[in-house]
Amino acid sequence: MKKVLDILKKREALLGVIIILFSLFVTIRVPQFLTYENLSNVLKSCSVTGIFALGVLVVTISGGFDVSFTAIAQVSEYLAIWLLINTFIGRIGNLFVAFVLVILIGGALGLFNGFLIDHFKLPAIIITISTQNLFYGIMYVVCHGRLIYTIPKYIWPLSDKKIFEAVSANGATYGISMVTVLWIVMAILLAVVLKKTVIGRSVYWIGGNALAAERVGINMRKMALFVYGLTGAIAGVGSLAHVAIVQTVIPNSIVGTEMSVIAAVVLGGASITGGKGSVFGSFLGVLLFAIVNNSLTLLQISSYWYNVFTGAIIVLSIILNAVQERQQKKRIIRVKVDENLEGVAV
Amino acid sequence: MKSNNVLLRIKKNEHFSLYVTLIIVYLLMGILNGSRFFSFRNLTAMMYQMPMIGLLAIGMLISELTGGINLSLVSLANFNGVLIYELLKAFTQGNVGSAHGGQVFIALVVSCIACMVVGLLNGALTAMLQIPALLVTLGTMTLLQGLSLVITKGYTLSGFPDNLTFFGTGTVLGIPMSLILFVVIVFITHIILDRTVYGKQLYMTGANPVAARYSNVNTVKVVVIEYVLSALFSFFASMVMIGQMNSVKANYYESYVLIAVLASFLGGVNPNGGFGKIGGTVIAAIILQVINTGLNLLRLDPFMVTAMWGAIIILVSFGREFAEKIKKSLERRKARPQLEGAE
Repeated sequence: MKKVLDILKKREALLGVIIILFSLFVTIRVPQFLTYENLSNVLKSCSVTGIFALGVLVVTISGGFDVSFTAIAQVSEYLAIWLLINTFIGRIGNLFVAFVLVILIGGALGLFNGFLIDHFKLPAIIITISTQNLFYGIMYVVCHGRLIYTIPKYIWPLSDKKIFEAVSANGATYGISMVTVLWIVMAILLAVVLKKTVIGRSVYWIGGNALAAERVGINMRKMALFVYGLTGAIAGVGSLAHVAIVQTVIPNSIVGTEMSVIAAVVLGGASITGGKGSVFGSFLGVLLFAIVNNSLTLLQISSYWYNVFTGAIIVLSIILNAVQERQQKKRIIRVKVDENLEGVAV
Repeated sequence: MKSNNVLLRIKKNEHFSLYVTLIIVYLLMGILNGSRFFSFRNLTAMMYQMPMIGLLAIGMLISELTGGINLSLVSLANFNGVLIYELLKAFTQGNVGSAHGGQVFIALVVSCIACMVVGLLNGALTAMLQIPALLVTLGTMTLLQGLSLVITKGYTLSGFPDNLTFFGTGTVLGIPMSLILFVVIVFITHIILDRTVYGKQLYMTGANPVAARYSNVNTVKVVVIEYVLSALFSFFASMVMIGQMNSVKANYYESYVLIAVLASFLGGVNPNGGFGKIGGTVIAAIILQVINTGLNLLRLDPFMVTAMWGAIIILVSFGREFAEKIKKSLERRKARPQLEGAE
């Protein structure tokens, strides 16, 4: 029993149990929830959020904060598609070039964030709120809010192509979309980078104790550029997934969703003060939000309630986080005391 | 000699650079806009609008004094407006415009208490559970936004009684009521922050919470009260807002969260806590109002204005860094002869 409780104290396990219980509850009310068709749709619908969450996770682990990633995604989406349609790049255009473009644009804007934050040593929230406004405002002024209706054909397969296809009763095919595959591949890559490489471990170190990390010899400027640049690049990739799903470039369709992404990452066990967080946790966090959203629709609850649920989940999860951390701290102290007593006895 | 003294005193004032910025910005906007910017009408318009930025900025400042932040300010103000509307609707059986003074008063008291409860929640979670204020207020912001959206169904609710809109649009002896309200609130807040034991404790907790605790300050209580105070500014802001829009909606003034952060930051608050004066914030709010009005008069693209807000923070950061460098080099130059003398 104690072992079970210990496993439950891990955030991933807790989230998994919540997701299963919630799914069971919804399935009893609405049987079509637990079908391959619905679940693959849920996965597709949260893929973009999931990709964004990967970037946010890196920043959060490093002890930083980024609200500008939506603006970065918006800019790289618009600029990349515009370049692919209107310039010479379009002549050699294919999906790979599109990926390179969004990564370059997103990465560059992210580096700008990283430079400012490292240079001024100001709270990242102030800098990223301002760069969010800067990027988004300039983009909107330049493009006059015009939509781009026809996106290059080679981007379509990113959302249209599916693996493990099946055919529904009314003849439509469904299955795991390529954007979901992209999300999962990126998640695995990021997990490997964070766990197995020096620079990935350094992200945890600077988040856990920036001063100690600096004294050990980690180059803080390089890390800031890496962290924010990576977040920008990931946001760029997310924007490509977004445009593949929406099939239109709408200049105000991403900005404004940043808080729900951050909430999902925090729900997944990442500590906003840094040093803690896992890819799998934030994956489950994104999934939980998507399932809640999906079941609100299935249960025919008005979408106005979505924000209320989101807010309630955020508040509950941070309380949970805090209580959990408190208990862990208490336990560490107790262990230390016990060791001391043993020492005395010997 | 005497005039020299006055000049020196002005120069030594901690907000000296802000005054200079205000004058420069005012003149700049005047040059860009021509004479209509200096017209009496424009000046009054600015006086009507400034309290909104000012109130939110001071609410933000208070929360930042202990290194926190209050993102829920604007959504709480909106929620509060919706609450007042619903209360009046219940009191008057649907005819909100006909509510009399007593009913308005009760609605205001009830909604004020509601604001304080939200502040209490923010403060309790921040202080007792040691959760970063950023997260707590992010949560309450989303929650309140959602609640307002559920109640209003996304519609704009309008038609408030005159005795309530008076706070936003009325005048007393030709002076906008909102400005009077603002000045009174600023004065009271100034006294609380600068002249009371609580104010000192608040600054102490922000500067060094451990030291404050060892000096027998109940830091948990201080932070909880801090967030209740901060939430009260949402209440005042919503009173002004109801008057000026004569309606409520789930997402009015959303961009003002940023402007409030900007104003408090411009006013010299240290985002890590412990420093920040109300005077600086008020001047910063005036500066931002001048910029806002000036840009509006220029008929700039509203998104250009958004971009400008972002650019201003970055430019101010550069400016501050530059000013500090100059200050340091000046101090070094001053210190050198003394050192030589000591040798």
